[in-house]
This record gives sequence, C-alpha cells and structure tokens, in this order.
Amino acid sequence: MNLDFSQIVPYIPFILEGIWVTLQFVLVSILLGFLLGTVLALFKISNIKLLKWPADFYTSIFRGTPLILQLAIIYLATPQLTGYDISPFLSAVLAFGLNSSAYVSEIIRAGISAVDRGQTEAAIALGIPYRPMMKDIILPQAMKNILPALMNEFITLTKESALVSTIGYVDLMRRAQITSSRLYSYFEPLMFVAIIYWLMVMVLTLLGGWVERRMKESD
Amino acid sequence: MIKVDKLFKQFGNNEVLTDISIEINKGEVVSIIGPSGSGKSTFLRCINLLEKPTSGTVSVADQVMTAPKTNVTKAREKIGMVFQHFHLFPHLTVLENLTYAPMKVRGLKKAEANEKGLQLLERVGLADKEKAYPSSLSGGQKQRVAIARALAMEPDLMLFDEPTSALDPEMVKEVLDVMKDLAHTGMTMLVVTHEMGFAREVADRVLFLDEGRLVETGEPNAFFTDPQTERAKDFLAKIL
Ligand SMILES: Nc1ncnc2c1ncn2[C@@H]1O[C@H](COP(=O)(O)OP(=O)(O)O)[C@@H](O)[C@H]1O
Ligand SMILES: [Mg+2]
Repeated sequence: MNLDFSQIVPYIPFILEGIWVTLQFVLVSILLGFLLGTVLALFKISNIKLLKWPADFYTSIFRGTPLILQLAIIYLATPQLTGYDISPFLSAVLAFGLNSSAYVSEIIRAGISAVDRGQTEAAIALGIPYRPMMKDIILPQAMKNILPALMNEFITLTKESALVSTIGYVDLMRRAQITSSRLYSYFEPLMFVAIIYWLMVMVLTLLGGWVERRMKESD
Repeated sequence: MIKVDKLFKQFGNNEVLTDISIEINKGEVVSIIGPSGSGKSTFLRCINLLEKPTSGTVSVADQVMTAPKTNVTKAREKIGMVFQHFHLFPHLTVLENLTYAPMKVRGLKKAEANEKGLQLLERVGLADKEKAYPSSLSGGQKQRVAIARALAMEPDLMLFDEPTSALDPEMVKEVLDVMKDLAHTGMTMLVVTHEMGFAREVADRVLFLDEGRLVETGEPNAFFTDPQTERAKDFLAKIL
C-alpha cells in the first residue's frame, strides 16, 4: 500500500469547485422539491378527489422507482422523445426536484394530519375560515413535526446528489473520479470528497438541531 | 333560538340520530343526558354543523343552518362551543387564544380585542394568566379559558359537550361555577353533562337521549324524581 495524499494537491482547486457545482443544483432541487411538495400536500389534504388522486399517484410513482432510473429517463429519453437536447444540470434539477417533492409532500401531509383534529374543530366552531385556520392555527403546529423531517430529506438529497455523476454532470463525485483516473489512484481523491460530503451534511445536521431546539423553546 | 325538525344522522349505515324535533327558547338552559354512545355529541355537533345532518332542518336564531345557501362559517360565529378536551391553541398565549378569532373574524382592533379578552379572563377568574401558555394551566383553568374564548365572539348560544368529564374531581366546581354565572346572564345554553347536580340546579329542561332518539324531555326535578319512560328509569337507576 502506497498512499500519497500530496499527489492530489494540484487537483484540489478542481475538486473544491465541485462543491459549488453540487450545491448549485442541490439548492435549486430543494427549492423546487419544497414548492412542488407543498402544493402536492395541499392537494392531498383537500377533499377534492380530482386533486387528491393525481397527487397520490404522483407520489407513488416517484417513491416507487429508483432515483437513478428517473434521472436516466429524464436525461436520456427527453432528447429521444422531444428532440430537445436537455442539459445535465436541468436533468439533475428536474429529477431531484420532482423526486424530492414526492417525499416532501408526504412529510408535510403527515405533519398536518398529526395535528389534533380537535384544533380544526375548535377553529371551525369559532367561525374561522379555512385559509386563516390553516395559516395561523394548523400549520404553525404542524411545523414542529415537519421541520426536522424536512432537514433529513435535505440531507438525503445532498448525499444522493452524487448520482448525477452518472449523467456526466461534473459535480464533486465526478471530479473525484476524474482525478482518480488521472492519477491512477483511487483512495486519496475519493477520501477527500468523502470528507467534503460529510462536512456539508454536518452543517445541515447542526442547522437541523438548531431549528429543532428553537421549535422546542417555543413550546 | 334553536329549532330542530325531523333531524336524522347516519354514519355510513349506522343511524345515530333518529327523527329528533325540538325547540329551544332564547335564554333557556337545556341539559342533555343519556348513555354513552346515545348520540349526545352528534346532536350537539349537528347544531353548528360540525356534523352534517343526513336529513331534517336545524335553525339557529332564524338562520336555517341546513339550507344550502346559508354561509355556515359566518353563522358559526354566533354559536360558541366548548369541548370535553378544551382544544385550546397551544402555540398562542391565553390572551391570544381569546383575541385571535375576534380580530380575524369580527375585525376587532387589537386594543379592543385585548381589552375585551382581559375582561373575560377576569370574569372566569384568570386575569393573571393572560401571558401564560395553555400547557402551563390545570385542566380546570384550561376549560375556563376555553369558555372565555368562545364568549369572546359574543355568541347568542353556547354548546357544551361534557365540559367537566376530562377534569380531576377537585376542578369540576370551578368550571361549573363559571357556567352557572353564564346561565344567570341569560345565555342560551345546551349542555351535555353527567353532572346531575348542575342539571337539577341550573337547567330549565332536561333532554334524555337513548339510541339516537329523544325519549323524554322534562323539567329537571320532575325528570329526576319521576321519569315517565322505562328507559329513563333504567338510566337513572344506574347513575344515581
Ligand atoms: N365521526 C363518526 N364516524 C362514525 N361513527 C361515529 C362518528 N361519531 C360518532 N359516531 C358513532 O355515533 C354514535 C353516537 O356517538 P356520540 O354522538 O359520540 O354519542 P355520545 O356523545 O352520546 O356518547 C356512536 O355509536 C359512535 O360510535
Ligand atoms: Mg359524547
């Protein structure tokens, strides 16, 4: 075994650039996933079957198939079907955003339905209309269940983001692989990005812990 | 004040209320009693349409609640409800619990709502708790706040669904005292309760429900000492 971490030094700037490349699409995906997930969750808790059913079906599809397959379908099949030459970035954002929205919608739906039914009844009995009831009474209570689970979803998404290396998006993971092939050495570059992923996840975890403590305080 | 005509309620195939008709006057205090599962809560919840009657009509203060055109949300503003398990809003302070709906729904200014809220807290003996959160209160205090919250909307009618059943025995009195005071102000009240003392002392009338039917109604003393139906006799024999 001949480990030599100094040989990756020339590649460090190249790899570090990957942090921003990864974060860029992770942040956009999280945003897309959150917005779409919120809308889906509202569909799911509505009494209107025409909204509820498609939202449930959507969730079932995106949770029931591998993410790497969804990514491949969007990246490879879109040009075949539409002739539009979709970029790796857009494919990645779509696959991760759409996939994440399915999970986020479940997190929000579960968070809302975990709020005691009596809260809704008390609000209805007071003559409070649906929207202010959701906004001021139900959602603030649901947030306590939703936020910790959302942080977990963001952490998962950040880690799973490495899958985009399979469609030629030059993220952190891909940069480690490129460096490996130049150096004919695997351990050092892979270890280096492993630490970077771990640090990113730690930041999110600490942030999550802080949010959770803030929520507890407001009890 | 309340007019219920041929009210039926089914949950699926389960008929919970059968052909109930009754009129209740303004200022009347009516106590609803009956075995567990006889439909008392469902009857109360059909008055403010928390449950939708399967058929029949319910009118409150000349508003036909069951008519399709009625704005039920608006109509509920004038019907206060107090639940067995309080259902206070846990993320709001006691005073905010009292002022939220008046501000949001009736459009009161904050200062006005606060002043009114503090008056009500004083009335239920909890003026010192305005800044407390519900989780720090005892059961009896929570229920008094819940009553004050309902009163803050200045309702014409108050519905109580077993308001003392979830309380430790030593806290029952403080809640019943608030309800007695309220009855003396002329509030129209419909009270589902197992507190026979309250029914005898405060109620003008007793409704006895059994298996979804209104089996007997009467003046409380007459009802408790000389019930007319076998079912009421059986029920009273069990609980007294
Ligand atoms: N939301 C519901 N769905 C189905 N059945 C219900 C529902 N609410 C009440 N019931 C049934 O209706 C009957 C009467 O219940 P309820 O009105 O709560 O009785 P009470 O308050 O007198 O104990 C019971 O058999 C109960 O199981
Ligand atoms: Mg009941």
